[in-house]
Amino acid sequence: MIELKNVSFQYEQGNSKGKIENIDLTIHDGEVVLLCGESGCGKTTLTRLMNGLIPHYYEGTLTGQMIVEGIDVKNVSLYALSGVVGSVFQNPRTQFFTVDTTSEIAFGCENLGIDAEEINSRMEKTVSALKIRDLLNRSLFALSGGEKQKIACASVSAMEPKIFVLDEPSSNLDIESIRELKNVLREWKAQGKTIVIAEHRLYYLMDIADRVLYMTDGHIKENLPIADFRKKTTDELQSLGLRALQSEDFSRMKGAVGATRQLYIRDFEAAYKNASGGRKQKQKVLDIPDLMIPQGSVVGVVGNNGAGKTSFANNLCGLFQTAKGCMSMEGKTYMAGQRMKICYMVMQDVNHQLFTESVLDEILLSLDNADEEKAILEAEKIMESLHISEFREAHPMSLSGGQKQRVAIASAVASGKQIIVFDEPTSGLDYRHMKEVAENLRELSSLGKTLFIVTHDPELIAECCNYFVFIEKGKVLWSDGWNRISRERLQRFFAFEGD
Amino acid sequence: MKPELLLSVDTKQRFSLDPRTKLYMLLIFSIVMIDGKTDGISFWLKPALSLLPFLLLLSGRRRKAAAIYLSVFCVSWITNLFLLDYLGTAAKIIVSLLTQLGMRWFPGAMMGYYLLSTTKVSEFVLAMQRMHIPEAFIIPFSVMFRFFPTISEEAESIGNAMRMRGITGKKFFKNPQAVLEYRIVPFMMSVVTIGNDLSAAALTRGLGNGKKRTSICKIGFHWKDLALMLVVTAVLLVFLFFSGGLK
Repeated sequence: MIELKNVSFQYEQGNSKGKIENIDLTIHDGEVVLLCGESGCGKTTLTRLMNGLIPHYYEGTLTGQMIVEGIDVKNVSLYALSGVVGSVFQNPRTQFFTVDTTSEIAFGCENLGIDAEEINSRMEKTVSALKIRDLLNRSLFALSGGEKQKIACASVSAMEPKIFVLDEPSSNLDIESIRELKNVLREWKAQGKTIVIAEHRLYYLMDIADRVLYMTDGHIKENLPIADFRKKTTDELQSLGLRALQSEDFSRMKGAVGATRQLYIRDFEAAYKNASGGRKQKQKVLDIPDLMIPQGSVVGVVGNNGAGKTSFANNLCGLFQTAKGCMSMEGKTYMAGQRMKICYMVMQDVNHQLFTESVLDEILLSLDNADEEKAILEAEKIMESLHISEFREAHPMSLSGGQKQRVAIASAVASGKQIIVFDEPTSGLDYRHMKEVAENLRELSSLGKTLFIVTHDPELIAECCNYFVFIEKGKVLWSDGWNRISRERLQRFFAFEGD
Repeated sequence: MKPELLLSVDTKQRFSLDPRTKLYMLLIFSIVMIDGKTDGISFWLKPALSLLPFLLLLSGRRRKAAAIYLSVFCVSWITNLFLLDYLGTAAKIIVSLLTQLGMRWFPGAMMGYYLLSTTKVSEFVLAMQRMHIPEAFIIPFSVMFRFFPTISEEAESIGNAMRMRGITGKKFFKNPQAVLEYRIVPFMMSVVTIGNDLSAAALTRGLGNGKKRTSICKIGFHWKDLALMLVVTAVLLVFLFFSGGLK
């Protein structure tokens, strides 16, 4: 049982984002509670209160009382909770500590000082419950994000806590991995565990959650049984800033692109040395003999993790030394080395591509215009169009995730490149921010750029894409604009069982 | 595949040793081999001892490394002993430098390579625990192994971003300070973020809670370990007594 009595918390930096105020909440044993709300509404803060990271790791002002399984969180150290509450976080890359899966699953138990025989029997139980036998004794660096997330779940599960707290566990996962995450949650629920899960993607939790808490500005606005919550229409949800409860049906399809000019892609290939096999056998991860894309379209690059979408994007931008193939645009042909001059990639982690001390400098760096006055005027115009003028003097690192992304887009526009590739631009975003990204993409498209969007987000696809490339096992399975067939194919790919 | 320093997963090994045995052998082996004498007892002892890493590498299924090692050592040894006198002064200096590297440093390095390439991180960590090395050293040490590949991924990604923005060699010469800053600042930011997330996750999983850690790894001394430790100890003693010890 988790009890919060009149709890308020504010982070130290004087930042009101993520604060919570006067929360009274009781979560009973065996309940599955879904926390939802826009970014910064305080749902992550609430999960941190439950696993003890607040007040023991993140500092700030805390009032009120929190009791988790009879333990007063304030008065004990974090370690007292580590066997009681198990936590799974958003980023699969930053929650493992060993280098192989077997040690990783045992890691938490080893810390608790449980003896080896008991750990082995728990490991056996966990592995068969979560169906991850094929992942045992593998290098963690060779796993996909979804597989890493499953290992994180298994590691926590082996500690046999009564309560599981998950903070946006699906943010970095593809549709297939989300299905598997759902199975893990279902297993925990069947074991009678209490589960608290903060999430933007709601549809996969509809037949697991018992209760939904909707938060705004640090308050619990609505506290509904799942049956009542499911009655909400999509319009109602959108006005609350929430994602849809059903799988996307792609009913809002746009007309086909009216472009007459095409981009030709030929002989895109990429291969890695087979990492696990020991033999130096080359494995083709990308193999596209030819592909035609209408110039100026917004291309959704779709497919499961590990299918080769990222390899495609990297090859398109000429980012690998080994990038192969050529691309023709407006009668000119670009080899791998030249493609970097016409392509720009907005990375999933935009922190990697912001270099300067102010937003204005960032854009000037891309403009590379000798005439400074002209350049500044131009930069002003770009900032205006992307609504970042007010931050012109701010340090890019001090901005929020969405604002950083807009700065990265602005520098892409400034660089004058014709092709812009987005890698997962909406992972972990709520409805409103996703809409903003879609808006930015449409804006870019109207400037005549060709956009490639590598994404797992069906709602983003429905918002702004008008051409599709579906990649499986390194090959293009199909590519098409909006029509009845492509719509059905997308529906089937993004469908969720139980809908 | 990112570079990994120690093994992450089991490989099929017919001949597995305790990491502590490997460390002990590495120590003794380096002491003996780094000495430059080739006369007297060393003439027989060193070539015999140099077979040790060769056999160990073979047992760890590192055939290519074993072959390279043996040929480099043999060539260095023979050249150094029998061919140096026929060379002119200048050539002699260069060749002798190379052969000294090949017969004095290279064997130790290969022994180290054997240690790294046949030991799992978790085994090594457990061995350190058994040697009573403090937790305050072991925990950062073990997380370090998991951190290296991540760091190289981050650095690569930032490098890509820079090339895409056209920040390349040409700009470097115009303003080297700015280019270094572009590389370091985002890198530091992401390493700090990763570190923060990692610590939070570690704490929720009870790392460093003061209880004695257990381990599912199995290491321990068997007759093989004992035999090898005795052999290298004997070699050290013979070496010290009969060749007058280290210079």
